[in-house]
Amino acid sequence: MAAIAPQRRSTRSGIGLAPTALLLLGALYCLFPVSWLLIASSKSPGELFTTPTLAFGTGFLSNVTDLFAYRDGVFWLWMGNTLLYAGGGALLSTAVSAISGYALAKYRFPGRKLIFNLLIGGILVPAVVLAIPQYLLFSKIGLADTYWAVLLPQILHPYSVYLARIYATAAIPDSLLEAGRIDGASEGRLLGRLALPLMVPGLVTIFLFQFVAIWNNFLLPFIMLGDDGKFPLTVGLYTLLAAGANQPSLYNLILTGTLLSIIPLIALFLTMQRYWKTDLSSGAVK
Amino acid sequence: MTPTSKRRTPLAPYVILTPAIVLFVLFLALPIGYTVYLAMRRTQVSGLGLGAGARREVFVGFDNFAAALADGELWAGWLRVLGYGALVLVVMLGLALLFALLLDSARVRLSRFSRISIFLPYAVPGVAASLMWGFLYLPSLSPIRAILDVDLLGASTITYSMANVAVWGGTGFNMLVLYTTLRAIPRDYYEAARLDGASELQIALRVKIPILAPAIILTTVFSIIATIQVFTEPTTLRPFTNTISSTWSPLMKVYRDAFVTGDLYSAAATSIVIAAISLVLSFGFLRVVRDRAFGEG
Amino acid sequence: MRATRLGAVLAAALTATLTIGGCGSSEPTGGSEAAATSPAAPQGPVKLTYWTWAPNMDKIVAVWNKDHPDIQITVSKQAGGDDAAAKFLTAAKAGNPPDLVQAEYQHLPSFIAADAVADLKAETAAIKGEFGEGIWGLVTLGTEAVYAVPQDSGPMMLFYRQDLFDKHGLQVPKTWQEYGEAARTLRKKDPKAYLGTFSSKDPGAFTGLAQQAGAQWWSISGESWKVNVADEPTKKVADFWGGLVKEGAIDDTPFFTPEWNKALNDGKLLTWPSAVWAPGVLSSNAPKAKGKWAVAPLPQWNAGENFSGFWGGSSVAVSAKTPNKAAAAQFATWINTDPKALDLLVKEAAIYPAAAKAQAALGAAPDYFANQPDFWQQAATVSAGARGFTFGPNVGVTYNAFKDGFDKALQDGTSFSDAVQAMHEATVADMRKSGFTLAS
Repeated sequence: MAAIAPQRRSTRSGIGLAPTALLLLGALYCLFPVSWLLIASSKSPGELFTTPTLAFGTGFLSNVTDLFAYRDGVFWLWMGNTLLYAGGGALLSTAVSAISGYALAKYRFPGRKLIFNLLIGGILVPAVVLAIPQYLLFSKIGLADTYWAVLLPQILHPYSVYLARIYATAAIPDSLLEAGRIDGASEGRLLGRLALPLMVPGLVTIFLFQFVAIWNNFLLPFIMLGDDGKFPLTVGLYTLLAAGANQPSLYNLILTGTLLSIIPLIALFLTMQRYWKTDLSSGAVK
Repeated sequence: MTPTSKRRTPLAPYVILTPAIVLFVLFLALPIGYTVYLAMRRTQVSGLGLGAGARREVFVGFDNFAAALADGELWAGWLRVLGYGALVLVVMLGLALLFALLLDSARVRLSRFSRISIFLPYAVPGVAASLMWGFLYLPSLSPIRAILDVDLLGASTITYSMANVAVWGGTGFNMLVLYTTLRAIPRDYYEAARLDGASELQIALRVKIPILAPAIILTTVFSIIATIQVFTEPTTLRPFTNTISSTWSPLMKVYRDAFVTGDLYSAAATSIVIAAISLVLSFGFLRVVRDRAFGEG
Repeated sequence: MRATRLGAVLAAALTATLTIGGCGSSEPTGGSEAAATSPAAPQGPVKLTYWTWAPNMDKIVAVWNKDHPDIQITVSKQAGGDDAAAKFLTAAKAGNPPDLVQAEYQHLPSFIAADAVADLKAETAAIKGEFGEGIWGLVTLGTEAVYAVPQDSGPMMLFYRQDLFDKHGLQVPKTWQEYGEAARTLRKKDPKAYLGTFSSKDPGAFTGLAQQAGAQWWSISGESWKVNVADEPTKKVADFWGGLVKEGAIDDTPFFTPEWNKALNDGKLLTWPSAVWAPGVLSSNAPKAKGKWAVAPLPQWNAGENFSGFWGGSSVAVSAKTPNKAAAAQFATWINTDPKALDLLVKEAAIYPAAAKAQAALGAAPDYFANQPDFWQQAATVSAGARGFTFGPNVGVTYNAFKDGFDKALQDGTSFSDAVQAMHEATVADMRKSGFTLAS
């Protein structure tokens, strides 16, 4: 690997103008509506529909203060709940996906395909459909309207299992496992000490996906939770939007709240992305 | 490549898979089973239907399925989603692949900025994304309209406008799946090609894309399923325009039945039809591209 | 080969779980959960939960909690609208609904039909006289039972831009005919402005206007429902608005959309036939137009009449499953009839209480209408002329058919009364399918 590095540098000498421009164009397209959100959240309720769409307003600070003061700072409670749901859910989900993906990729055993297909098949059923039966089920075991009701159903995620299987296949050389077995390592030890560390970059991606997915999930917590003290941000902000037929929607608070709720995700992304830099162990697969 | 552990430790994989299987049974299989159960039932009201005992659930067999299959509105919805889906799949996955390859190539500047920018829309909840674009589409508020004089919410453009929201929101996610896969491939794998004097473009086309094939198929299958389940974008944009009906997409009909008109049973039946069609379409696709997605097996 | 394999597996899994789900789900209507939530013995204060979306309700409840240490209420602020109704019905089906719930009048019949709310006839006998007949009918559906205590109401009035009416020399229309003529005149004087707009997204507003014209979509006669959504008054209202939209005299931007907000702000929309709660919406969406709006009774179908309809408003219902029905009913009565509570409802929750004696609490006109000191007196007069109406058990279906039908009519330029006919057919078909007894 080290021997190849110089050559690689030599090919890098010519910076592709066209590729860079293309990527920047894509970035601009993606940033454009977000910048609109930034602008819109700077507008006071009076400015929102009167000033030009792309002109900054004067109300950002008052919007933020209003949002934080709304119902004695319930925004922070929602933010904390969301962190708990997304953080806890994504951690558990990544763990389950990682070990399942590893088992499916690295063992041959009767029923492997069946289990894999079943786990993946879950994606065929839309979440809209599952929410109500899941709620009835949780009510039955007395867990509706608890933190568990939002955490548990989001742990198993077919896409993540699939991704974990692909990453395990790519990242863990069979020769390494065989060597471990010859040295007398137990299967658990192989998984914990050998396989999982090799899968880290892929797991980071899975964690990020799941964190964002749970962070933004609306329907499940909406159905599951009755107590507004347990609401995540999405459901909380929705109570501002659908304030009832005779109450105006608090657009300025919603826009500001949405903007603020994206910031932790960006921070997470920035901290996570260093894990993708490390190339996976060389000379491994294929 | 082929796992060599095989018969020596038959128990380990089952132990490792236990959490996933338990979760599957509890939170997917059981609710799905309940959905099937609901789909074969219906409320039977007597008299005024007011007060206790005036309504009960009865078994109706496959009546709800028959009604779902005979519903012209549902099939019209499938047609609309088909057109929309084809557009989204091609553009979104095309862009995702392009960006992933560009990011992975060694010759790009500002790649970190581009990477996070393109991924950023994934962090925006679907409802918020649709609302943002909705604002940008509205004739009297739209900065786009200043340049492009078309009604972005009209009958002829609404499909494109909605596809744009989906492409915007989904490209970054798929790009990241592909990009992470590319990063997982050892560099020396295509250094050889580079030494042979292949250009970046040639390496991308001849080396990287074939390696990516399983991941591309994977993202396609999941995107097909996600597209069939399109719901958030049309639902959020609906108040802005009179071109989107409450049954624009099949899943909107499910939501309408379950949450607006209170017919959970029809909703259950329709959703099973949707799941079945998803199954047929995604496996039809896999048939076409053969067994590459399940790759190494 | 794989496709068939997975298909077979899925099918097997589904049939396997069917039996489990089948036997497991026959019980959710059982009362075991409700019993479990009740404290072991009635010692200590009764604890009740209350789902509502009215602003500042927690502050009003805090006052009650202070005065009633034996009945402690916890407010859980929910999102309002149709989703709230669906959520409550799901919670009731699962056996863990809140003890008290805010119920919009149009959703109350579906709550009753699902057996989710309790009959409060005995508990409310003393307060019946506090409410007008039209409002009371909304919580009884014309039956002997009482399913909720009315909280607020939305008698409809005509809100108009006084300054722009003066500028263009327009008279406040007394009849709908005059309204139509004013709309045409305005188009000639200012081609960029509209007198009003027809919203295909707000069935509640259309229902209110139909009520004013004398529509009766549902009624109960004996043991059967009479359904006539496409009655003469409704068709008259539909054709009136359809004609104005078609000739371009009024706009078709739906209410509450960003476009509509902008038109309000730009002074391009001169009237809004809305309800008594409109000041809150206007002051939030178009704060700069403060003092420029005025209110008048709705235009009438025949000169000299004095009718109105209701748009919006809700009641407080007690869950059928609550183990503390008496305590819950006591609170529902207090919050909607006690002078102290009514005062708080006006000041904190900014609603127009349904109880007649709330007039005392309604002091000065809303700030936004400071130029019209008799605002509340006007509202009271209009409210007295609001016609009664009974909502049916499947309003969700009817309202959904309204949105789809009128969207399509606007899109294709077809007749509005056809859309009304489609609403009627959808409503009847749904009731037939469910097995309701319909009078022919």
